[in-house]
Amino acid sequence: MYALIDCNNFYASCERLFQPKLNHKPVVVLSNNDGCVIARSDEAKALGIVMGTPAYMSEDLFKKNDVHVFSSNYTLYGDLSERVMKTLSEFIPKMEVYSIDEAFLDMSELYYTDLLELGIKIRKTVIQNVGIPVSIGIAPTKTLAKMANRYAKKKYKDVGVFYAADERLINEMLAFTEVEDIWGIGRQYAVLLRNNGINTAKDVADLPPDWVRRNLSVVGLRMWNELRGVPSIEWEFVPGRKKNICTSRSLGSLSNNYSIIKEAISNHAARCALKLRNEGSVCQAVNVFISTNPHKVEHKQYSHSITLQCETATNLTKEIIGYALKGLQIIFKKNDYFYMKCGVIVYNVIPETEVQINMFDTTNRTKDKTLAKVMDKVNNLMGKDTIRMAVQRFDRRYKLRAEHLSKKYTTNINEILKVKI
Amino acid sequence: MKEILTETAISSFDFKVPAGFPSPAADYSEERIDLNKTLIKHPLSTFLIECEGTSMVNAFIPPKAKLLIDRSITPKNGDIVLAVLNGEFTVKYLKKNDFKCWLIPANKKYKEIEITQEMEFTVWGVVTSVIINPNDTKCML
Repeated sequence: MYALIDCNNFYASCERLFQPKLNHKPVVVLSNNDGCVIARSDEAKALGIVMGTPAYMSEDLFKKNDVHVFSSNYTLYGDLSERVMKTLSEFIPKMEVYSIDEAFLDMSELYYTDLLELGIKIRKTVIQNVGIPVSIGIAPTKTLAKMANRYAKKKYKDVGVFYAADERLINEMLAFTEVEDIWGIGRQYAVLLRNNGINTAKDVADLPPDWVRRNLSVVGLRMWNELRGVPSIEWEFVPGRKKNICTSRSLGSLSNNYSIIKEAISNHAARCALKLRNEGSVCQAVNVFISTNPHKVEHKQYSHSITLQCETATNLTKEIIGYALKGLQIIFKKNDYFYMKCGVIVYNVIPETEVQINMFDTTNRTKDKTLAKVMDKVNNLMGKDTIRMAVQRFDRRYKLRAEHLSKKYTTNINEILKVKI
Repeated sequence: MKEILTETAISSFDFKVPAGFPSPAADYSEERIDLNKTLIKHPLSTFLIECEGTSMVNAFIPPKAKLLIDRSITPKNGDIVLAVLNGEFTVKYLKKNDFKCWLIPANKKYKEIEITQEMEFTVWGVVTSVIINPNDTKCML
């Protein structure tokens, strides 16, 4: 038996924890640079606010309904997510963190435990200890657990837990779930299924295996097995090493200023280098990309990217910034182009221990590596980016818009919750 | 057996003594006191807040006091709690019996609050420590 635990409206719930006067009020959280709606409280959903709606298009709706708007505060969400996950792992150590607000628990070894009771206890503990409401679905496979979680939210909101314990309960849930809402079904397959008169997950589970193999490929067959209670999706207890790492942001405002874009690219490159060092990896190629705003039809459009191979695989800030800026110099076009977005991707990431040294590489890296280590140590102690490369600058001219940012209540001593007593 | 002894001996010194006598304290070394461990029993459910106002001065909570709040503790009669009353945070003593519940300030200038059914009331967490800077305590004189 597997459980999927999912935080309800996670980002909105994080904001409410420190502003309880927003309970029962519509709350939305916007993406980076205050772009689109990426999280909604139930009240905001009820107003018909749709995920991904650009914020500027909804301003009137927000004002009229007194919707509370937040910029995304990933520092806060990250800390609360870690608290939730660690609380869960104290119940069941076999856990796969699936996303910032979801985790699978492997309950297969708990033969004698009443899993419904356990689910209710886990839910109660997370709500009390961390303050984030969660829903729990328990079922024989990951796909069914995901479905049970959704079913719990829709049908058993007050309990918040659904345990698909036997065939009757599983069938009840399958019959309730439309094909579009099955985990892992893309839009194309959903259309195909509908055209064949297959409307619910129950219909899918009842299909003959030959039909599934013929029409839905191997992936479909795996899902079909999962729906029939046969676990077919691997467990990833340790997240796999990433192949590529991307850091990109919109610029706070459109810009044709080379110096500002250079500053942004340097910072993105430095962030990539730090991510690599933190996981003990190096990259073999660096990609830079820039693009104008395609929605501004009256502007001239341009977007370009370039990949540079590294002479020797690296994770040094200095070198990755070097490659990135070299690339930027090549692709950057001046004058009438107003850039909206730029970013750095590092490719072909491998473990640091597997580096092959280039025969013609004459750089002595020992010194640079020591420097990087010292920088990381100081930055760990004194705060992110205390020491940085000069090109990164300190004024952050490319800074994102974040007009509705809440405080970093749990990670910054100067921003802790202040209470009038 | 000999091997194990050597290993232990090395791990208790993390600095080298090139000459002279080894420190007689080495075998008795213990971890220095860590206030995080002492004050925070449940790190996952503990939060830090700062107070403004004087309603709790006689409970040694002057303005600017920092409070550790543990959400995992079930509040009982007599605890100092961070409560949410009609959407607003406050810190007070919690007094309760089987029928009723009050928020009690620790300053005579403030009134007790009896919790009624019309009020929306929850306890956010229980105060487990008060951290004050002596310079902020003058108002308590």
